[in-house]
Amino acid sequence: MKTRTKGLIAAAVLLVLIVVTFAAFGSAGKNDAFQPQNEFKLEPWINLKLGPVDMSINKAVFYLFLASVLTILTMTYIARRMQSKPNRVQTLVEMSYGLMRDNITRGNMDNKMASKWFGFIATVFLFIWFSNMIGYLPLPTSEEKVNVFGVHIPSLAIYAATANLSVPLVLTLVVWISYHIEGIRAKGFVGYLKGWVPGGVSGAAAIPLFVIEVISQFVRIVSLSVRLFANILAGHLLILFMGGGLVVLLGLAALGWLTAPIAIAFFIFEVGLVATLQAFIFATLASIYLGEATAAGH
Amino acid sequence: MLSTLAAAMAADPTKGLKAIALGVGAGLGTIGPGVGVGYIFGKVIESVTRQPEMRDEITSIQWLGFALTEAIVFYAFIFGLIAFFL
Repeated sequence: MKTRTKGLIAAAVLLVLIVVTFAAFGSAGKNDAFQPQNEFKLEPWINLKLGPVDMSINKAVFYLFLASVLTILTMTYIARRMQSKPNRVQTLVEMSYGLMRDNITRGNMDNKMASKWFGFIATVFLFIWFSNMIGYLPLPTSEEKVNVFGVHIPSLAIYAATANLSVPLVLTLVVWISYHIEGIRAKGFVGYLKGWVPGGVSGAAAIPLFVIEVISQFVRIVSLSVRLFANILAGHLLILFMGGGLVVLLGLAALGWLTAPIAIAFFIFEVGLVATLQAFIFATLASIYLGEATAAGH
Repeated sequence: MLSTLAAAMAADPTKGLKAIALGVGAGLGTIGPGVGVGYIFGKVIESVTRQPEMRDEITSIQWLGFALTEAIVFYAFIFGLIAFFL
């Protein structure tokens, strides 16, 4: 039997099973008591209002804080107790250091820029990686309360700070502004703007190319931030819907047996590939932009 | 499922239509990146079988291309969500 036929048969079997569960059990109506979409609702835990600016501490702030603390503590801890005979954790960190230094930074910038910006790029990479990864750890942050021996503690829930557009947007704006400043410092204001027009083009043909380049510079803000945000958000939404959201919306508990394996598969895919890959992509693109802004003309 | 949909339609017809539009738009948006991701991996297999000694370099470029292409699905999805909630 061909692989394609097998896949089609498996999909058809899954579809038939879903329809059969519907026919057999029927819908109990939408379940309004439990709302899994509250994962993305940000309730202020501690109210902090400075005039019109809302600085309340909420779930996203907690996750950001956790990610920064993890980034700083793990790296300084491992750097302090470096051994000449590395254990497994040190080997892993050294591997990621090699990836950040040789692959991400030096591969895209000249050596002077690379030594200057390596710290920034590596921090961004590790910070995004940690905040993506703790996004898949169930932590007691939910609004639902569980009764354990008379004590009401929040139940376990997953959430990622990077699944909120404001966090990737701030990181993107830092990268965007700093590469423009680096470009202007390297070539001067006029020289930097001239560098946007491809070499060999002159006269009237340069004007539309310049306009296109200006637009593409602004599109970079959207693409860089939305890429990270949407990847993490879509991963969390898929896990959310497959691991219970669909069941709650349709009011059909038996369907959970069919969607739970899909949720586990998506969870493994997100943890194993997407979390690391998105951090890598963000850092790589940031260093490509920085390298391109200071490159001596192209 | 149909009764749930019908109830949603009866409560607020535009909301049901918006939901359908979001589904169709995001679904159509996956076609192009799907082709693109398949093309990238196909080309990677082709180049690695031709020059196996280039494997490490090709792998790092492969993931860059994969992530850049894959993100286009999410642009369609995010703009669908924006249209849904506006």
